[in-house]
Amino acid sequence: MPLSPASGIGRFYAKSAKIIRFVRLGCTNRPFYHIVVMERRKNQHQPVIEQVGSYDPLPNDSNERLVALNTERIRHWLGKGAHLSTPAAELLGIAGLLPIHPRTYMSAWRNRRAAAEAEASAEKAESNS
Amino acid sequence: MLRAGCQVLTQTALPAGKTGGNSFALEFVRWRRKPRWLPVAKSKVFRVPERKKQTEEERTELMRLHNQYKTQLRSVRQYLREEVVRHEETSTADHIVLTPEQEEAEFQKCLDLNAAWNARIAKEREARLAKEREEKVAYVQERLEAKQLREEERREQANQRVLREIELSKTYITRENLDAAIEAALANPVDHNFAIDLDGNLYRGRNTSQLTEASPNPNPEPNQQALSN
Repeated sequence: MPLSPASGIGRFYAKSAKIIRFVRLGCTNRPFYHIVVMERRKNQHQPVIEQVGSYDPLPNDSNERLVALNTERIRHWLGKGAHLSTPAAELLGIAGLLPIHPRTYMSAWRNRRAAAEAEASAEKAESNS
Repeated sequence: MLRAGCQVLTQTALPAGKTGGNSFALEFVRWRRKPRWLPVAKSKVFRVPERKKQTEEERTELMRLHNQYKTQLRSVRQYLREEVVRHEETSTADHIVLTPEQEEAEFQKCLDLNAAWNARIAKEREARLAKEREEKVAYVQERLEAKQLREEERREQANQRVLREIELSKTYITRENLDAAIEAALANPVDHNFAIDLDGNLYRGRNTSQLTEASPNPNPEPNQQALSN
């Protein structure tokens, strides 16, 4: 699948539902996402209307997960009434453009709880031995 | 893998199943274990997928957060919508507002420029066309002269041929001088029985004329010779 340009060659109707979402690129076991605006009903690998950012979910050498956002265009498209997919909403919430998504809170408290449980079990194993 | 595949199989009736936002947890299946027209396996018919556990506390907290988030997002959206409208009104990115006089002046400027270009190109074109015309005239003239020369040469050759024929016609044998020619031929017999070597020397090789001998008593030998010749 050839890469469509970031300026976008996707055709769209003026009043169709647009959505800001991820397109999974990369390959097996190596995800990489483009954050794009496209028609909601289309498959993710169709040509996009516009690419507004990129997201690399795997931490690099400095333990960073890199995100690039074209906030100006995201604001424009949101103002035009574009929808948001949940992962994109989470990412934009963490980026500070939108309010924090509830799912972020949920995964945070679940992670905290799992960490606490793991610690407790480790302590218990230590005290037993 | 199979579970995700089954979900895909059962969700295909809904067109939004793949593109919707709730497909986040769906595993991406590139390769299916079985074709999609096959029914659910017998061993899995009565299997009910386990729901993720969610305590009441968590559920109410999520509900509260979602309500809050939706309210906040709505107000952010409204702000952005107003921002877009404001930007469209104030910016001149895709529509430049001009007064009628300015438009007229702009149009006149374009018209003058276009006329100047047209005049320049017309001058160039005229020069080119004149040059081409001259070249063509010269070419035609040259061809005409060449044709005249050719015609003259041809006429000359034809004249010469006619003159030669006239010259030759003096020796023609016609009905009037036929008898004289026959008599002359009979009076001057020519003997062709001779040999020639590579240098063109003739070897007559016979002292007596055969023709004079053959006429009184013809014998088979000279006839055979004549035939062989």
